[in-house]
Amino acid sequence: MELFAEQVLNGCALGALYALFAIGFGLVFATLGILNAAHGTYASWAAIAALAATERLGLPFPLAVLAGVVAGGLLALFVDQVAFQPLRARGAGMLAALITSIAFWIILDSLAGFATGQQSLSFPQGSYPARMYHLGTMPLPAMQLLTIAAMLVATFGIHLLVRRSRFGAAMRAVGWNGAAAALGGVNPRMVVLATAFLAGATSGLAGVLAGISTQNVSFSLGEGLLLKGFAAVVVGGYDDVRGAAIAGVALGIAEVITAQYLSTSLRDGITYALLLGFLLVRPRGLFGRAGFVRA
Amino acid sequence: MRICWRMAAALLIGGAAMPAAHADGLAAGDYRIGFVTENTGPIAFAGLSYYHGAQLAAEEITASGRLGAGVKLTLADKESGSDPARAIQDMHQFIADRSILATSCCILSAVAGSLKPIVLGAGMPLVIFGATAPGLPKPPVVYSMTILPGPKDVATAQHAVEVMHPKTAAYFVSADNDAFKARMAAGQHAVEAAGVKTVGVVSVLSSDTDFTAPATQAIGYAPDMILVYTTQTPAEGIIAALRARGYAKTIVGNDVLSPATVFKKMGATVADVPFPISFSAALAATPEAKAFVAAYTKKFDAPPDIYSAQGYQVVQFIAQGLHVLSGKPTRESLGAALAQIKSVEPNVYGGEPMVDGQAETKDTVIVAWTKDGAIAPWPSGK
Amino acid sequence: MDWLSDTWAAYQSTLGFAAVNAVLALSTYAVLSAGVLSFASVSYAAFGGFLGAQVMLHAGIGPLLALPAAILAGGVLSFLVALIFLRLEGHWMALASLALVLITRVVVLNAPALTGGVNGLSIPVELPIGVLILLLLLLMLIFQRLAVSWYGIAARAVREDPAVAASLGMSPRRVQMIAFLISGAVGGAGGVLLAVMLQFLSPDTYFVNIAFTMIASVVLGGSYHWAGAVAGAAVFTALPVIAQAVVPAMQDVANGVALLLIMIFLPRGLIDPRAWRRRRAARRRNA
Repeated sequence: MELFAEQVLNGCALGALYALFAIGFGLVFATLGILNAAHGTYASWAAIAALAATERLGLPFPLAVLAGVVAGGLLALFVDQVAFQPLRARGAGMLAALITSIAFWIILDSLAGFATGQQSLSFPQGSYPARMYHLGTMPLPAMQLLTIAAMLVATFGIHLLVRRSRFGAAMRAVGWNGAAAALGGVNPRMVVLATAFLAGATSGLAGVLAGISTQNVSFSLGEGLLLKGFAAVVVGGYDDVRGAAIAGVALGIAEVITAQYLSTSLRDGITYALLLGFLLVRPRGLFGRAGFVRA
Repeated sequence: MRICWRMAAALLIGGAAMPAAHADGLAAGDYRIGFVTENTGPIAFAGLSYYHGAQLAAEEITASGRLGAGVKLTLADKESGSDPARAIQDMHQFIADRSILATSCCILSAVAGSLKPIVLGAGMPLVIFGATAPGLPKPPVVYSMTILPGPKDVATAQHAVEVMHPKTAAYFVSADNDAFKARMAAGQHAVEAAGVKTVGVVSVLSSDTDFTAPATQAIGYAPDMILVYTTQTPAEGIIAALRARGYAKTIVGNDVLSPATVFKKMGATVADVPFPISFSAALAATPEAKAFVAAYTKKFDAPPDIYSAQGYQVVQFIAQGLHVLSGKPTRESLGAALAQIKSVEPNVYGGEPMVDGQAETKDTVIVAWTKDGAIAPWPSGK
Repeated sequence: MDWLSDTWAAYQSTLGFAAVNAVLALSTYAVLSAGVLSFASVSYAAFGGFLGAQVMLHAGIGPLLALPAAILAGGVLSFLVALIFLRLEGHWMALASLALVLITRVVVLNAPALTGGVNGLSIPVELPIGVLILLLLLLMLIFQRLAVSWYGIAARAVREDPAVAASLGMSPRRVQMIAFLISGAVGGAGGVLLAVMLQFLSPDTYFVNIAFTMIASVVLGGSYHWAGAVAGAAVFTALPVIAQAVVPAMQDVANGVALLLIMIFLPRGLIDPRAWRRRRAARRRNA
């Protein structure tokens, strides 16, 4: 029973990383209408930036995380302005943006390889909270608790921002119809910039936390998160951050429990099959509502 | 001291060159080796080491004049990023380039599997580094300088069982990597043959980002010993997670733990985890090995690892084949000359016999990192 | 003459990969031309590729005879996929098809009887590049005939506006089902041709990279004409080779930047029928 509880906690922590990543990925998909293949590189680069802030600048843990998060956001801004803005301005569709995002994926992955000397690096011991708390005999690693807390804060914060604030209303308006939103007095340019930054920062946070807890800071970090975060978006739905968050955590738990009690070799197969099955039963995600369909 | 060893090495190399029967020797000129690099992509950390080792060997051989006056040995490199399609195109370009006499490639089985039929068809000598799939060498065309890890894993597992007397064992394996799946099977077989019960096998995948749950799972089996047969990044993550969750019994690693970068990254966490090693900068005993370590460290500002040693030996092997030829050698004559080599000289292993196109080393050295970052024989009391 | 034969020898495999990528890109184009963004071509290619490889290995027949088996395999799989996917809507279908790509690798890893599992599959079979090119030309001819047929017109209408197409008596669902079947057959063929080019299949052969190669080829070349898929595949295959020759140290970065620039300046792709029509109209006005 304790083993089960330990694995559920492990699954939650793993799922929290998927969830954080998925929130960022989903925001871009919902608001900007872009299937962004370069999104994983934001997580890799955020982790690299946080590591550099720790090692080169000697920043303490919270500031190093902040540096990584801001780096993820700025990188997303940059990619948006270079790769997506020119297409948006010309009214080109989602397809062209998918290709420019693939281009940036190639570029940023390659540069990340050079930045880490093609090695997998890790945060030096002592630069992050490594304490092991105990609940009875059950170990509670500090990084796992921190990851779950970060995911909860980010989910509620962004959910409130999107659903309750004027900015969120503007975001949804742009996501639904940019031109109409502009007529309604929303400045689409600002909304786009803010959304890109927010998405990059959230996925960057996932990257930094994953880089610390898995001891792997390299370009492969983002790729792993991209595949699983993507799955979370499909299950959870991209137009509601709560859906992505719950789906991310559920995926993490499902993965860990499948590996523990069923079969490790089929773990990913079961995860993705659940995903496809879910799509058929609830093709709009957990919180999805019927959209407008023209007859 | 360093100069002394170099002189000794130079003397040795010179000594080996003496009995050459061909007084006329190779015609002066540039002899080029097509080198399919894997300096970017998923296994670039090893790919760069192979390439650096090969680069050093080519420069040393050219500078030493060992192949004759005015004979230059150079690498023509083309990147593949470990993508078979790119590697195939690279290889066709090498084959079409008449100045290329031999080629070298491949860490992944998929790349080696794609290139082998091409070089066999074209009669282009290919010396493989890294790839471990069974049955790759095919003299007089395809040779492998990979030091096969299988027997060394078995020896390490047996040794660990003898020393620690475990009753039960659990295993980690990279389930989507053919080489490591085979290595785990061999290790598990040896451990079970010694009467140790298998209590669990935990699979991880190459794109996994988390090792806490697999570690928890393995600890849940309550094994006396955990053997790790995975690629480098997962192995590091698994060992760190096992230790972080309080697993204090024996963990047996594999040769991916040997590069200095592993200790630099993990520190004392990786201490006392035994692994087999074919070459270590810290344990270099022969003059050739010491000269190699000194020259490599000077050139690349980092000690050589098992991968750089294999890359170094690839070029030494090709040079040894060229050495017995005279005039203008062809791909065919070089391939035939390579087939005659019974033992690679010089080598950094203290002996490297060639058996049916496959390089081997004699004995297995079982080592572990110490808490202060040295590599020492394991267990430390011995 | 030496120069000519050496150049041919050096770049024949690049031409071969370009041709195979063109076939795979046409598979993706087949559904895109009916308004469906789907990455499922990877799965058809995997099924066709592995099945075709097994047929070649066990029946000892050449790739040309294995081709029908691969086409059939891809077609059958695409029919099943279409039954499921056509219930989904645009964006979700794209996401679901990407999930299918991920599942494909898991299945390949866990079906060693068909795929060789983690050890991969060696296929010592060769196909002359000339035959490969001929097959591609034949396929292009088929796509040209399709484009001017009733189906081609219906597909274009469904892509532009399903509601209008439906009101003109074209069933979008039926048109898209046909598109899926074409995509599956072509994808299966592409899969077995790729297998013959590589002569070795591993679980990573049919995965995300090839999915992005297909879609990038189609969009780069222009997704409004079948010729775009072919032109795009040629450019997308040649770009890394050129980057390697020009800037070997930063070849991946150069490749990405080139891709980025082409897409930003030609967002509708290299081959754009609308631009042709406009130019023709402009000439007529001037004349």
